[in-house]
Amino acid sequence: MSKPNDLVQGTLDLLLLKILALEPLHGWAISLRLRSISSDVLQVSEGSLYPALHKLEQEGWITAEWKQTENNRRAKFYSLTRLGRKQLESEAANWERLSSAISRVVQLSES
Amino acid sequence: MRMEHWWFTTRLRLRSILRRSRVEQDLDEELRFHLENKIEEGIASGLSPKEARYAAMRAMGGLEQKKEEMRDMRRMHWLTDFLDDVRYASRSLRRTPGFAAFVVLTLALGIGVTSGVFSMVDALIFRPYPVPHASGVVSLVSTTQDNSYDDFSYREYLDIRDKAKSYDGVIANAAMEGVGFSAERAALPRVKGGMMVSGNYFRVLGVEPQLGRGFRDDEDQVAGRDAVVVLGPDFWRHEFASDPSVVGKTIHLNGTNFTVIGVAPETFPGMLIFGHPDFYMPLAMARVFSTNRQKNFFEDRDDRELTLRARLKPGATLQQAQNELAVIAKNFELEYPKVNSRRGAAVHTQFEMRTRDDDGNWKFGVIFLILAVSVLLIACTNVAGLLLSRARTRTREIAVRLAIGAGRFRLVRLLLTESLILSCVAGLLGVAIGYGVIQWFRSFQNVIFMTDLPFAIPFQMDKRVLLVSLVVSALSALLCGLVPALQSTRTDLVNGLKSADVELPGRKRLWGRNVLVVAQVSVSLMLLTASFLMVRGFHHTLLDGTGFAKDHLLMTSFDPRLVQYNPAQTQQFYKLLTERVRSTPGVLSAGLTQNIPLGQDGFDGVAFVPDGFQMPRDRENFFSTLDTVDEGYFETMGIPILRGRGFLESDTAQAPFVAIVNEQFAKHFWPGEDALGKHIRLDSRDGTRVEIVGVAQTIKYHATAERPMDFMYMPLAQHPVARMTLMLRSSGDPLQLVGPVKEVVRTFDANLPMLDTRSYEEYYRNQAVEGPRIAMKLVAAMGVVGLLLTIAGLYGLVAYNASRRTREIGIRMALGAASSDVMRLVMGKGLVVVGIGTVLGLAMGFAIERLMNSMLFNAGGVDIAAYVAVVPAMFLVTMLAAYVPARRASRILPTQALRYE
Repeated sequence: MSKPNDLVQGTLDLLLLKILALEPLHGWAISLRLRSISSDVLQVSEGSLYPALHKLEQEGWITAEWKQTENNRRAKFYSLTRLGRKQLESEAANWERLSSAISRVVQLSES
Repeated sequence: MRMEHWWFTTRLRLRSILRRSRVEQDLDEELRFHLENKIEEGIASGLSPKEARYAAMRAMGGLEQKKEEMRDMRRMHWLTDFLDDVRYASRSLRRTPGFAAFVVLTLALGIGVTSGVFSMVDALIFRPYPVPHASGVVSLVSTTQDNSYDDFSYREYLDIRDKAKSYDGVIANAAMEGVGFSAERAALPRVKGGMMVSGNYFRVLGVEPQLGRGFRDDEDQVAGRDAVVVLGPDFWRHEFASDPSVVGKTIHLNGTNFTVIGVAPETFPGMLIFGHPDFYMPLAMARVFSTNRQKNFFEDRDDRELTLRARLKPGATLQQAQNELAVIAKNFELEYPKVNSRRGAAVHTQFEMRTRDDDGNWKFGVIFLILAVSVLLIACTNVAGLLLSRARTRTREIAVRLAIGAGRFRLVRLLLTESLILSCVAGLLGVAIGYGVIQWFRSFQNVIFMTDLPFAIPFQMDKRVLLVSLVVSALSALLCGLVPALQSTRTDLVNGLKSADVELPGRKRLWGRNVLVVAQVSVSLMLLTASFLMVRGFHHTLLDGTGFAKDHLLMTSFDPRLVQYNPAQTQQFYKLLTERVRSTPGVLSAGLTQNIPLGQDGFDGVAFVPDGFQMPRDRENFFSTLDTVDEGYFETMGIPILRGRGFLESDTAQAPFVAIVNEQFAKHFWPGEDALGKHIRLDSRDGTRVEIVGVAQTIKYHATAERPMDFMYMPLAQHPVARMTLMLRSSGDPLQLVGPVKEVVRTFDANLPMLDTRSYEEYYRNQAVEGPRIAMKLVAAMGVVGLLLTIAGLYGLVAYNASRRTREIGIRMALGAASSDVMRLVMGKGLVVVGIGTVLGLAMGFAIERLMNSMLFNAGGVDIAAYVAVVPAMFLVTMLAAYVPARRASRILPTQALRYE
């Protein structure tokens, strides 16, 4: 499976879950949101987005539904499930632990 | 959490299989939606529509790969792939129907024979007792030096039942053969077979009667008080037309009234392999049916007639039970040295009881199974060979697939799917063939069991046999599919693509094929040797003769107990009966015997001590088989008295006790001496003194294949027996005597039934000849099938070799090789393969001969004739199979061969 090369491994899931936790979105909107909120720092190849979404869906963390967009077109909207919410919590906690640990290490080497 | 997870994922996975196209469509639409948005975005930022489209496609990066990635993610592709494989494989098989049919038929034969024979082995060895939690039921046996599977006496049973702590209950039963049954008092009794059982029998086994109730424990406490009976399911159906109101009715058994209290369930035909008891009654009723009037069933500790079984307590081990029983047996020895010294006891599982070494049936079953599996092996190797040749014609197809990126594993899977389909179809057909084999076995029901008693051949196509057939089919798919699949996917791509029909890189593939044929030749040689040995073994024993005259004999049995004769009346009846039939016209001579030779019932045994014989230290007495006969028996059966005299009318109960022994007995105990005038003591050193007054020729007693055994005859007058068989030698057709004999019997008692009235020759033929003949047919059929398959396999190999070398042969011939050179070239390989196969086959043949000798015939030594006959025949036939294609190859026209390809 192709990995988004500029993302720390496994963080794409966390990002997607977090974005969907705010509101249900379709794939295109997710990619826009990803770009805007990370101010283009996190470049996700658009091709990798769908396999990632698909994986989350297969795990039962998000669920999909066909709905009309504001432009009156059919799109597949993803939303978080209860399982997904739990997953988000645990991954977020993990991330906190990991990133704080890493930043501590980084500071240590500079001083 | 986990549950919820599962619920989600399984639903999604299911969706991805069942609504595959729908899921694909969704995916398409979703990606298209993204693409369109991306394009719009590009146009908005000033790109031309075309540029925007390219940019969008680039950003997405390989849509098809992404899709495939997502399909993989659903983790169901193994199944969808499998379905694809099945579709593809069946399409390619449909394109070669002849090949498919041949393979299916070959495998079906192997599977069918195996499943049919397995049903037999299952019934004889593996099928559990028809009771709940059958694995907890064990058998208890009494053991002596001569008999490792002896029964227990009633007193011993009570002691074991009360003292043993390892069990949830100890049950006892004794078969009752030849009980006179009538539903109405006035009706003529007919002979039925039943079972006396302890009161806890049904409860401990966990068998719930389908009607009424089982016995209560208190119904088995007072001798002769509770005349109650539980009917067997078959008996209920046949005799009472499944009438539910039978409970509470009175039936008559040996003239005694019994109240029917229940009917055993259909699922419980009894605990025996063949016999299905017609009815069950409490042990306490034994007095009515006692077979041994010299002993008191309820009191004598050495009247051992009971088979004991017990249900182990949960948690109790066999070893604990074993130890406990050993202690109990030791106490018996100490407490009752007279009847229990040197007598131990053992606990056996059902499997151990079914495979006891003094029983022949299961051994036949095992040997049949070995042979059947050999047939299956030959079939599998044959099919493997065929698949290999087929793979050759597909070299190009496989090379193309490999070249465009199919994984080798994936291709192996495709090829295996093909053999799986073949073996599934073959399995279905095989089950049908197996069913046929079983029906064929069962069709001999009346031939094998020539008796009025309830016996049935228990072979059936049940769930267990079906399961085994299924496993066998799957295994054979793997066996015959794996090697060809692995080999044919190891293709040299460059060559494979260049030509549809390549010379393959190594000699490796050919090596594989040769191994297959070597295996075939050797297994089939073993099979033929086995069938030949068996056929010869039976012939041998039949030619050996039985030692007596079988023709012009009428047999008919009586049991005056059926009409309530007391022992004195019984003996009087036999005396008068023989007197009167002897004076009937057409009767040359008449004799009485307790058991006929080569009959279904075993002979009684007798313990004795030869007078003046130096007893070994560890022995108190010897044991011999015994028959009780009257003074006319030897003459009627044509058994020569070699020395001394036969029995006389003067050998009455008041006269000194006499016996006649056979030659084997005389040689055994008085080697080099004259047995005449010697004495033996019955039971023990101070038992009744019996003088040996004659030595009879040794004949066959139990089976035509037996070794000479010790045998003793006692006169009826001194050793009264109730159930006797009258043998009549006729001047003409023995069956014409039936009418006159009936007339004679009617003058005594119109109600006395004549049982098992038959021509002895016919009985002998069915009993001693037909059974072996059926076995021989089966073995011979397996041998022939194996040989045919081998011939087909060998033919295939040589033809394959020849066709592979068509071009080479053409060149050689164009350069001047004679057709005989080509013959030599092509056949050479076949010759080597057959040679190696023959050598291996010989070794396997010796092995199976040893096995068969040790299990069945006890002939000892090597039957050279078998090999002299089989090996050259096998060699010739296989050479012929090689010759035909070789000959064809040698006739190839060089011009044609060179243009080939």
